[in-house]
Amino acid sequence: MQTEAPVAQADVSEPDLVKRCQKGDSEAFDELVVRYRTRVFGMIYNMVHNEQDAWDLAQDSFVKAWKSIDRFRGKSSFYTWLYRIVMNVTIDWLRKKQVKAGGTEFDDNVQLREIDPASKTVPRAEALPHQRMERREVRSRIDEAIAQLSPEHRAVILMKEMEDMQYHEIAEALGCSIGTVMSRLFYARKKLQNLLKDVYENV
Amino acid sequence: MKTFEEKWTAWIDGQLTGRELEEFLASLPDKAAAEAEKQSAKQLGSLLREQAVALSNADFFSHQLRERLDRESGPARSAPDAVQTGWWTIRRLLWGGITSLAVFALCTAVVLREKTPSSQSQYLTEILTYRVDPTVSPNATISMFQPKDERVTVLWVEGLQSLPPEYATK
Repeated sequence: MQTEAPVAQADVSEPDLVKRCQKGDSEAFDELVVRYRTRVFGMIYNMVHNEQDAWDLAQDSFVKAWKSIDRFRGKSSFYTWLYRIVMNVTIDWLRKKQVKAGGTEFDDNVQLREIDPASKTVPRAEALPHQRMERREVRSRIDEAIAQLSPEHRAVILMKEMEDMQYHEIAEALGCSIGTVMSRLFYARKKLQNLLKDVYENV
Repeated sequence: MKTFEEKWTAWIDGQLTGRELEEFLASLPDKAAAEAEKQSAKQLGSLLREQAVALSNADFFSHQLRERLDRESGPARSAPDAVQTGWWTIRRLLWGGITSLAVFALCTAVVLREKTPSSQSQYLTEILTYRVDPTVSPNATISMFQPKDERVTVLWVEGLQSLPPEYATK
């Protein structure tokens, strides 16, 4: 999985960083945050469709991760463990907010920076105004479609399609069986295909 | 045994192989339509991947997080400080306990000392040894009450013709 780690820090293995964190080394945790902050933020943003909420929830997730790092036993990858926290925080928040399908939670003022798919950190060159408008429309359609899924279905399809996670990793992150993951993926895809077919066929 | 949804998902993601794949393909009523669906699912996946969002102000994100962690879990992050604080508290408790015990022992000693009569009162001695003169007051009777637990003695005298000079002076 691609991470945001600078070249100098990429040499430090993740298990070493985790061990240092468990001994109270906050600098090691800072390095883990740098590696995963963009992906965590992106994942949450796609779940909640609001930049400020995504920012706050990402912060909450990392705070929880730091506070419970002692309980990480290394049975799964740190990233899967972190995603479990991220999903718990986000799904709890969505349930509390009781988001109704229909896109009422959208923030139209959000200025999203689309980035090169090859790199998750480098923004594209500025697009022309009509291109920006088109992208914003596409983004809005996608957000509306995703908002019609339950939090669990959102989580499954986003982890699979955007994070390219394996079934068992998604199952670990969500605390459910692989069969449940596959079943949710089936229905989430069907629903999004129905809602977005005209979008991806015309893009 | 996988359900149809599970098999379909595995097929879309290229996870279905061997005999399972053959059986699944054979079970499809319209292979062309299924292939079109698969293609559509792939396009959907591509569309979603293109929507990856960047975290603007990533450094500020880390900075804010660091500040929050320092604020919320500051003491826990500094283990040596926590140990020192713990020992300091234990020492204080120990000294506090010793001081309290010493004060308690001192007070107890003082109270016990006051409760124990060191010697008989000189007034009681005089009362006990007093005799009414029968020639002066032949009908006089004398009764003495001395409750056991109270440090007081009551001398009850009746029929005195005159007050003995000792009473007047004491």
